[in-house]
Amino acid sequence: MKRTLAIVLALVMVFALAACGSNGSSGEGSSASSGDGTAITIFNSKMEIQSQMEEMAEEYSAATGVDVEVYYSNDTVAAHMSTRYASNEPYTIAMVDAKDIYSLGPDHAIDLSDQDWVKDTTQAIAIDGKVLGFPVCVEARGLLYNGDAIKAATGKDFDPSTIKTTADLKALIEEIVAGGMELPVGIQKEDWSLGAHYLAEVYELQQDPDAFIAGIKDGSIKLADDPVFNALMDTFDVLKEYNYAKDAPISAEREVTEMKLAEGDLCFKFGGNWDWSNMVETNYTENLGMMPVPSDLGDYNEMLVGGGSKYFFIDNSVSAEQQQAAKDFLNWLVYDEAGQDFLVNKCALVPAFSNITLPVSDPLGASVKAFADAGKLVGNYNYLPDDHYAKVGASFQKYLAGQVDRAGFADEITAYWATAEVGAH
Amino acid sequence: MKQNTFSYKVKQYLMFAGPGTILFLAAVGVPFIYGLYLTLTSWDGISATKAFVGFQNFAAAMKDTAYWQAMGRTVIYSVFAVVLINIVAFALAYLVTSGVKGQNFFRAGFFVPNLIGGIVLGYVWKFVFNRAFVAIGSAISSGTAPSLLSTPNGAMFCLILVSVWQYAGYMMLIYVAGFMSVSKDVKEAAMIDGCTSAQAMRNVTIPLMRSSFVQCIFLSITRCFVVYDVNLSLTNGEPFGSSVMAAMHVYNQAFTYKNYGLGQAEALILFIVCAIVGVTQVMVGKKGEVEA
Repeated sequence: MKRTLAIVLALVMVFALAACGSNGSSGEGSSASSGDGTAITIFNSKMEIQSQMEEMAEEYSAATGVDVEVYYSNDTVAAHMSTRYASNEPYTIAMVDAKDIYSLGPDHAIDLSDQDWVKDTTQAIAIDGKVLGFPVCVEARGLLYNGDAIKAATGKDFDPSTIKTTADLKALIEEIVAGGMELPVGIQKEDWSLGAHYLAEVYELQQDPDAFIAGIKDGSIKLADDPVFNALMDTFDVLKEYNYAKDAPISAEREVTEMKLAEGDLCFKFGGNWDWSNMVETNYTENLGMMPVPSDLGDYNEMLVGGGSKYFFIDNSVSAEQQQAAKDFLNWLVYDEAGQDFLVNKCALVPAFSNITLPVSDPLGASVKAFADAGKLVGNYNYLPDDHYAKVGASFQKYLAGQVDRAGFADEITAYWATAEVGAH
Repeated sequence: MKQNTFSYKVKQYLMFAGPGTILFLAAVGVPFIYGLYLTLTSWDGISATKAFVGFQNFAAAMKDTAYWQAMGRTVIYSVFAVVLINIVAFALAYLVTSGVKGQNFFRAGFFVPNLIGGIVLGYVWKFVFNRAFVAIGSAISSGTAPSLLSTPNGAMFCLILVSVWQYAGYMMLIYVAGFMSVSKDVKEAAMIDGCTSAQAMRNVTIPLMRSSFVQCIFLSITRCFVVYDVNLSLTNGEPFGSSVMAAMHVYNQAFTYKNYGLGQAEALILFIVCAIVGVTQVMVGKKGEVEA
């Protein structure tokens, strides 16, 4: 009798442990809010706006009666979505990266083509004529400058629109050097910055990126002779020559470079408006901004490169009511004052919609918004293979460190493309 | 109740080892078998379907030069790290059992690095290599001194140094236990027979501590072969992808490059290599073990 009891107790303990295990594994933060009527779930993949999202969910629920729950996961987006779909618990609205819309959208997203906001943005993702992705914000790449530092060195007000070609940039930098700042440029050594951001412009500034990559693959285009590649690398050589960390470019740390730029110890750095999240922590000077990468590429040296970053899609397996509530939510973001205020002021994002006229608070974002509104934004090429940035980025690091010359670098990129395939689109 | 019936034994087993067995199966057994199945698919980690491709992933793993480079690098790293970890750990253990003042304090001190997680430790050392050493170097020489982490050999050196610092304290504890288990009598007898203390150490103490060596070398080999956390936070594979260890390559292959099946196959190969090396070492080590 006693023994049976012991066995029962042992089993109870096992189940208790098992139950603990299953509770512990769902480690995502959530904020529930009460309200009657429809309930929708939103997956947020921008960690920096999670608290704003939770607050917004409460306010939105109170205002509309739609129960909104916001989830966040520090897993990679694709991995997290795969576990949710594997357990058959899709989010009503999920915030994912552009490439995930291409991989998940055709199977899981509803068609949003009939929505009003489609006409107010150029950044929505459409696949086979159906709009599936709602752009959450715009991010763009270019040359970050510190106008105050330039003025301090040259004694003249800086007008970014006067610097168009590589020669212009070199002349200005020489003037700055003469003015006392010996090495006024910062270059990030991160593989994503070099490979996915700078080198990617070689594809993005082509007339037809798909044909260009196909040409490299079949050997009909020699990368080393390509005008876009050479023009961008000429500019990169100028930046490299005046890199403050040129003795040890691979030890330059992103945060240090950003701080130096923001505080006026540097004048230029290639980057994007996401750099602001670190720069805002520093004693930054007033006159910061973003300009196109100067180059001898005609029109393209007047345009930033970028576009929608992070996309919402609405799941097609949830109820019609939930789908409607989700559509209402997206419209609220674009057309309601509170929604616009949430995007622009609370989250400090650059909205992807032309009808939103609220001023963007951060200077880099303001530059991006100005270029986007003027239609001077070259779109992202979202179909590069997942290992592109790491492998080609490593080659670019060698170039930055002077371990390989331009021809050798071009050969390594060509060798990479011999086996790589662009994503389906 | 008879104590040698089958059902009695099953009940006894379930009662004492049942919970552990179930947890082991759930946390290790099932994922391992599921992982074996995934090596036979071309799953990318997201899609709903897992296409069966047979042994293609293993063929691809054989041809993945980056993987074998990472594996070769891991072997070099492991050889240096294992040797140094054990030399340092043994020396420390000798020091803190020899009766120096405050030896308990030193024991705790040398063990502390092991209590800091690998990720934190990597970031701390990254700061030391990138800022502290660079600042000192720049002050001594004129101009900016390059960080050790910016050259392939330097990065490897840093990884080995940090691993030694992390594991030496842990292995020291095992060696300390080994030293304590050697009874004073045998050492004294050796001294009376005319040994110098170095001879007593070489011919009496070390042979009697053989099991400590076997354990420490096994632990350090298996840990070095699957190093990931320090690799991630200290170098992240940089510069130029020259410090990517096998485990990091496997992770990138599976999750970053979205070749889950291939990554899983490469992980299995890493596991087998690691198991063969570890088991061989233990078998060779055990053979010559002596009893006091």
